[in-house]
This record gives sequence, C-alpha cells and structure tokens, in this order.
Amino acid sequence: MKKIITVLLLLGSLSLQAQNIVRYDLYVRDTIVNFTGKEKRAIAVNGQIPMPTLTFTEGDIAEIYVHNELEEETSLHWHGLFLPNKEDGVPYLTQMPIKPHTVHKYTFPIIQHGTHWYHSHFGLQEQIGMYGSMILNKRADDKTFRKGIDDLPTIPIVLSEWTDLKPENLHRMLHNASDWFAIKKGTTQSYAEAIQTGHLKTKLHNEWKRMLAMDVSDVYYDKFLINGKSENEDTSLKGLKAGDKVRLRISNGGASSYFWLTYAGGKITVVANDGNDVEPVDVDRILIAVSETYDAVVTIPADNTAFEFLVTPEDRTKSASIYLGEGIKQLTSPLPKLKYFEGMEMMNGMMKMNGDLDQMGMNMSMQQMDMNVVMYPEITGAAENGKDMIMEMGGEAPSGHNMDQMDGMQMNEEMYNSNELSDITTLNYAMLKSPFVTTLPEEAPLKELHFTLTGNMNRYVWSLDNKVISESDKILIKKGEKVKVTLYNNSMMRHPMHLHGHDFRLLNGQGDYAPLKNVVDIMPMETDVFEFEANSEGDWFFHCHILYHMMSGMGRVFSYENQEPNPLIPNPQLALKKLKGDDREFHLMAENDFATNGNDGELMAQSTRWSFGTEWRLGYNDMHGYETETHIGRYIGKMQWLMPFVGFDWRYRKLAHNEVEENLFGQKNTKDKRSVLSVGVNYTLPLLVMAQAEIFTDGNVRLQFERNDMPLTARLRMNLMWNTDKEYMGGLRYIVTRNLGITSHYDSDMGFGVGLNVNY
Amino acid sequence: MKSIFNILIVLLVVLSATSGYAQIKNQKTETVKVLGNCDMCKTSIENAGNLKNVSSVIWNKDSKMAEITFDSKKTNRSEILKRIALAGYDSDEYLAPDNAYAQLAECCKYERQDKEPAMAVDHTKMEMEMEMTMPSTENHTDMTMSEIKEISNLDALFNSYFAVKDALVNTNPTTAAAKSSELLTALKALKIGSLKAEEQTTATKVIPSLLEASKNISETKDIGKQREIFKVLSKSMHELISFYNANETLYYQYCPMQDANWLSKDKTVKNPYYGSQMLSCGSTVETIDNKK
Repeated sequence: MKKIITVLLLLGSLSLQAQNIVRYDLYVRDTIVNFTGKEKRAIAVNGQIPMPTLTFTEGDIAEIYVHNELEEETSLHWHGLFLPNKEDGVPYLTQMPIKPHTVHKYTFPIIQHGTHWYHSHFGLQEQIGMYGSMILNKRADDKTFRKGIDDLPTIPIVLSEWTDLKPENLHRMLHNASDWFAIKKGTTQSYAEAIQTGHLKTKLHNEWKRMLAMDVSDVYYDKFLINGKSENEDTSLKGLKAGDKVRLRISNGGASSYFWLTYAGGKITVVANDGNDVEPVDVDRILIAVSETYDAVVTIPADNTAFEFLVTPEDRTKSASIYLGEGIKQLTSPLPKLKYFEGMEMMNGMMKMNGDLDQMGMNMSMQQMDMNVVMYPEITGAAENGKDMIMEMGGEAPSGHNMDQMDGMQMNEEMYNSNELSDITTLNYAMLKSPFVTTLPEEAPLKELHFTLTGNMNRYVWSLDNKVISESDKILIKKGEKVKVTLYNNSMMRHPMHLHGHDFRLLNGQGDYAPLKNVVDIMPMETDVFEFEANSEGDWFFHCHILYHMMSGMGRVFSYENQEPNPLIPNPQLALKKLKGDDREFHLMAENDFATNGNDGELMAQSTRWSFGTEWRLGYNDMHGYETETHIGRYIGKMQWLMPFVGFDWRYRKLAHNEVEENLFGQKNTKDKRSVLSVGVNYTLPLLVMAQAEIFTDGNVRLQFERNDMPLTARLRMNLMWNTDKEYMGGLRYIVTRNLGITSHYDSDMGFGVGLNVNY
Repeated sequence: MKSIFNILIVLLVVLSATSGYAQIKNQKTETVKVLGNCDMCKTSIENAGNLKNVSSVIWNKDSKMAEITFDSKKTNRSEILKRIALAGYDSDEYLAPDNAYAQLAECCKYERQDKEPAMAVDHTKMEMEMEMTMPSTENHTDMTMSEIKEISNLDALFNSYFAVKDALVNTNPTTAAAKSSELLTALKALKIGSLKAEEQTTATKVIPSLLEASKNISETKDIGKQREIFKVLSKSMHELISFYNANETLYYQYCPMQDANWLSKDKTVKNPYYGSQMLSCGSTVETIDNKK
C-alpha cells in the first residue's frame, strides 16, 4: 500500500513539473521619457524601461504573450535560449513581424539555466528601450547546483545606453561619416590637438593611410544606464552586512556599447558567462561585450557602507553606478580618459597601405593581447607628449640590452598583454573554463567554415568576407554535423559575433573544458575558433551584435538542409527580400551653404555599394553662373576607395565678352551654356584626397583633386579643391551645431563669400 | 545730484551682485560636511563642485562645512558631492576612492572618519587580520600606521621594500623615494633585541647598508640612481629573508642584463631595473617558502 502511495506521489510530482507553465503578458507601448532634460520617444513594455525581468526555472514551459500596442511592427528575440526556430523572434527569418495592435504568443520549454536576456530584433527598437533580463534558475535538485554560488542573493542587471537622437537618424549619420559624435566626445583628433600634444606626425601618418579619427566606439551617448538608471541604489536586497556575497546577473543590453565593470569593494569573481557556468575566477575588471552576459559574485567588505559597482562604456565618456550595501557610498576610481593619439600610432603601425591589418607575426586571440592597452593610462601610464611608440613596436632595445637574447616577436606580444603589464587583472576569454567536459561527439561529420570580418569605417560598411547579408546566400548545414567556425577580424573595430539557438565551444586553450558561449567578442587582428553541434533545425542568424553593424549587413544565416517549412513564414521569398532590405537601405545626406556669393550644396543617397549624388553651385547673377553635377557611381573593393561613375553636368553662365576658357590640356570651352554627359572615376588617395577623372561627351577631360573636412581644430574644418579647368576653391567651416555651420570660402567662379551651412 | 549718483552706484552694485548669482536658476542651497584641511583643499573642493550655471560650492576650512548652491532642475546634492568625493574628499554621502585620497597633496590628507575601506591596498591582508582580532571596527580606525608596525616590524620592513620595488617597476621615482623613506622609518623602528641570537648577527651586519641605501633612494628623484642603489638594497634584504616568515611565497629574481637581483611576492617577472621598457625580462632564481 505504502509503495503505491509513493508511486502515486511521484507521478503527481512529475506531472506537476511537466505542467508548470509560466505565463507573462508583455504590453509594448510608445512612451515619452526624459533622461536628459528633453522629452523623447521611447518604447516601454508594461510601462517600464528596461522591459520586465522574466524569471523561469529549468523545466518550466514559457508562454509569453506579446501585445503590440505600437503603431509599428515588432518582434522579440530570446537571446541565448535553445528553442524551436519559429520562437526565435527574428523578423522575416523565423517569423513575420508582429503587426500593430495584434497579440503574438511565444511558447517554448525551458531546457537550460543561466543568465540571459531578451530584446526586440526589429529595426532599431533595441536602442530605445526594448531590452530586459531573462533569468533561468537551476532546479534545486540540479546536479550542477553550486552551494555558495547558486544560492546567493541575486540582482539581475541589464546595461544599456540612451541617446536623444532618433536611432534612424543616428544610423544615417554613421553612414555619412558625420564627425558630430567625435565633437561631442571631444575626440576629433584635429591638427591643432595633434600639434599641442606633439603628435602631428602620427596624425598625418594616419591620414596618409586614409583613416579618419580613431575611436573605440561609434556613437556618442547622452546617458548610460543600469536597469534604466544612471545612479542606482539597489533596494532589492535589504540588510547586507560585512562579508555577505551578492551575485550580479549582468547582461549587456546596449545597442553598441562595451562596458568596463569595476567594483569598489575588491575583486569580482566571475562564475558564469553567456548563461553557462564557469570555474570561478577572480578579476579586477571585466570588459563585457555587447550582448554578452556575465554572472559576477562580489563581497560586501564592510558594514554601514554601500560599495559602488561602476559601469563605464569603453569610450569612458560617462558612467553608471549601482551601490551594493547600505550606508555611506564608497566610490571606486573612474577610468581615466583614453590616450587617443597613442591608439592612433598603434593603428598606424598595424594598418598596411592596402587597408589590411598587419599581424606582425603575432597570433592574437581570446582577448589576451589587447592593442588598446596603449590607450589605457591605468596600464601604460599617463600620456607623454610625442612619445614614439613605433620605435618600441619595432623592437628597438633600450641601451645596455643585448637583443640577441630577446625574442623580438615575444616582446611585441608582451607589450599588449594587459595582465602582465600591470597589477590590474582584466578578464579575458582564455581564463574561462567550463566546470565539466564540453567535447562534442567525435564521430560527427565535421563542417569547417572560415569568415574574415571586414569593414570600412569611412563609409560604415560592415561585412563578412566583404559581403553583406543581402549579397550572400544562406549557409547550409546538416543536422548532426559538428560545425567549426574560424573567424579572423581584418577590420579596425571589435565585433561581438552572436549565434542564435546554439551554444558553441570557444576553443580557448582549456581543452576538453572549453567554455560554452553564444557570443564571441573578436578584437582587430584576432583569430578565434569555435565549434558547435548542429542539433536544432531551422534558420539561425549569426551576426555582429552591434546594432548598427547588424543593420548594415554584418551577418549570415545558418540554415539546416531539408528542414520543415516554418509555418510562421507563409511566403519565404517575400520574407527573404524583406530580410535583405535592411542593408540595402539608402542613406540620405544633404547640405547647402547659403553664402553671400551664392549657394553651394549637395544631395547624396548612398547604400552599401551605390552612390547617387548631385552637387550644385548657384550664383545670384548670370555672371557668377549656375551649375550642377550629378554622379551615379558604384564603390569597388573592400576599402571602397575606387568609385567609377556616370554623370551629367549642366551649366549656365554669361561672361562679359563671350570669353573662352582654356583648360590645362588646351581644350577650349565657353562654359556659358553646357549640358553634357560624362563617365569618370573617383579614387581616394593617401591623406584622404579625393581624385576625380572625368571625360565629357563634348570631348573635354577634367582632373580634380579635393580634400574636404580637414580637422584644423575640434570644430573648424577646411576644404580645398583644384581642377584642370583652372577652377579652385578654399573654404573654412566652423561647426556650431549638428546641423549648422558658419562658413567662409573663396571660389574661382564666384569669388569670396561668407555664409551659413545647413546640413542634414 | 550727488544723491542720484549714489543711488546709481548702489543700484549698480546690487545689480552686479545679483547677476553673479542669477546665472544659477531654480536655486537651492544646502549645507553639507566635507572633510579637508587647508586652503589647497578649499580650492580643490570648490573646483570639483562648481559647474558653470549649474552649481557653486563655498567650503569653510574651519567648520568643514560646504555651502552648495545649485539649479535643482539640472542637478542635485548627490551629483555635486560625488564629484567632490572623486576629487578625494569624503562627505556624509560618499567616501572618496582610495587612490583619489592617496593622490591628495600631503597637507590635504585629512583624517578619514570611516577608515574601514580607506587603508592602502598593500595592507589589505594586515587589515583583515586586524578586523578579526578587534571586535569593534570603530576603534581600529583610530590606530596609526606606526602602531601596526610595532606588531610585526619585519612585515613593515618587507612591505616597504616591496612598495619601493613596485614604484621602480612603474618607473615612478617620486613614489620610490617616498616608500624608501617609509622603509627607513621601518628600519629604525626595528627592534633587533626581539630577534634570535644568530638572526641578530645577520641583522646587525646588513642593517647599516640597508639604512644607507634606503636613505639614498629617498633623497634622489633620479630613477637611474635609485635603481643602482636598489641592487645593494635587494641584496641585503635577501640576507634577512631566511628568518622572515612571510604569509606567502616570495621569489628571488634575477635580471641578467643588470646582473642584479630583487625580491618579489609575484611569480611573474616584473623587472624593477627597467620598468615598462623591459618589464618581463629576467627569471626566478629562488623560491622562498617560509610560511608557517
């Protein structure tokens, strides 16, 4: 009898577990926020930013109802979760977007544990509030339950950033190489600043290699947020005393910001990464990549004191803080400003003339060597004027040293090993170790893939193997295969590459205990390798998680062969077209100079490869004349320095005595009335000089050299132009606001003028 | 006529006075305690707190009270006090980061009230032991460094030596000199009588050279000279090592380029003779494990 009862009880508990459905209702609404003193539009879910923390226990069934009360479409992606492909939330790939004023139900079993997060995968909605924590708890009877870690009090933390600019506008500005963000950050790296700090040679060398001012992040943000606030007094945990430990479950929900994590109360113990347990490791600081998650255990060292957990974006412009404990707030030191010119010298050394990166024989991977340390005063000392890093990079020995005894290559590598250079321990991927063996079945057939991460900051094109999503096919994989992916970053930025629906083993030198992750941050010149078991059918996105890089086309789709059709994609062709639409978008740019001697301006629409542009110079009388030049061109090559084009020129001018002008080649032209077609080519020369050769239907040939936007000071720009029609122009522009400038220029046709520049 | 002139002057004075303040709108004023010592502190505190058209701070060095005036729509008391704390000054809301306090000029190093987290990083170990033996955390805050040194004078000696070494690793002659003078103090405070007989012999033998070397390092700001003297210093310190029970493993390391040694708590080579130029040049020649 007793036995039967036990069996019944067991059955009862089993069925209870099986039916443990956890339901959340998410109401997505437009809202107005005020982070900076200005009211701006944002998106709130259940009235809050970030979105509510969703908590489940392994074994639950999640039912999430998304009530889209926006006037636009949306969709939610569950970052790092294993789930059926149709629940993955990538619009036009795993589902059609959720229409306005409709309800969509996501449901999936929770078959893992760990710190994860969720966010909108539609458009740029992630930037304006659609991110939140997703905490999957271990069951108490889990074999992997770690006493002293999994039973600690926990605070879910989602990091993010805020800009008052509309994200669509921000994206457009990035594509137009606007330097407004640099002005806001104070990182213009102008000639004047270069001279002041003794780095003019570095700056010119940098422009010689056709690079714009360098930075570690693309966007200037107004605020950085921890759970939606810049200053956060944690109230979720009461009565913390000296010696108590707290587990922070940190997700980086920022659209494009990496964050340094530091703590006023001592070391940070990393216990999990991307939702997967790792062997505890003590560090002084962590740089969390966009979309990564880390579980960090910190200790409260004293009573009656609240210790600052400081979150600093990689560009160190501002920060956000959360205080752990109760009482007077113990601050930690802010991170000192970056030494940009040191970074520029480092980049000059790395970059070859053809735009490729030069590894100089170093095998870089797993974030162990960080070229950026040359910019960190806390590691490499305060800025010294005119210090010539190139000498050291060349391995020039200090006096009294015998170079024969040194391994030159090793020396170079050590110069960038942050943990060797200082007492500060920075977490890197090589320090992550899984607590259990993670090897994949050996008999599985191997599929190897190689990708080179490519990019072009000047035109903000980001790609894999110089192909954006719309230019590439889906990558077919078979269920049961072991897929091994090798990534090499040949671009100047770091990229957090994220794989949907799977965890991969990051081959970081820990052998059988390689850590499981779903995001790998890869720094310039690094090569990283990961492998995963193809065990979940569907179309899975693999992309850079910097929102603006993804929207520019930096990604691929892994597609399982012979998979069942996705019921949520009724028209696969249409969906694919829409998916590819993101990076096919044209970005508009316009400016006009209302000057005393005429109007000068241009209008341009550009996509990844194409450029439609028209320029005009309109005088106020017939003598000065009116002219427009229209060019339609296509950018060639990875660096996009070359652009052949076809054009159309129109001009009207009335010179006093029917003067005839002669160009350098002896070709004559009245230029009074002209309307001709042309073909030509643009090429960006070193020092960012734009050379243009053009031949017109009337047989005339023109060569032109132009350098625009030379940064004389933080806000003063100079333009210079000369061509073989003996026309020339020189101008200065002082940037007053994002859209306004004051100009003065001299033009061979229209003479001297001052004016107001309006740009979009 | 004269009265009109006077009225005008008064008006002018009143106007100019108000215009000086009129820049901060939605004004709110609070008085808060901010710790500090001298006129130099006053300047630093006020500079850290002032923000054009947003906040202004007037600090009184006698009462230690700061009058903060701010635009309540643009900022608040906490933001201002946080900036002041980041400049190194504790208040009732924030404690300054340890190294912000450490970087204050000597005259500005006010006595910290809540001393608990304020101790220098090097002494964290010691501090923790102290905590365990002392039931009241309030009390030990008042204890000065010299008292701690008396408890274990060899600890103090070696800790100062390591501090000098670290300063040389970081190529920081100022800190090296400062730490060296601490070493000198520790040497003078060393009670030879408390050592065993054979230890006394060794100690009396090396102490003169240690005294001289530490004095010389503390008196120069020339990193080259300091490093030269540090060779002798390291050699003499090594002689003491046999009867020093460190709480952790120590390493005797060697730089072939300089034919010189040094002691380190760190297994990883960080060369004090070259600093960042040649940081990891050298090797460990002896591992000293006197833990008890």
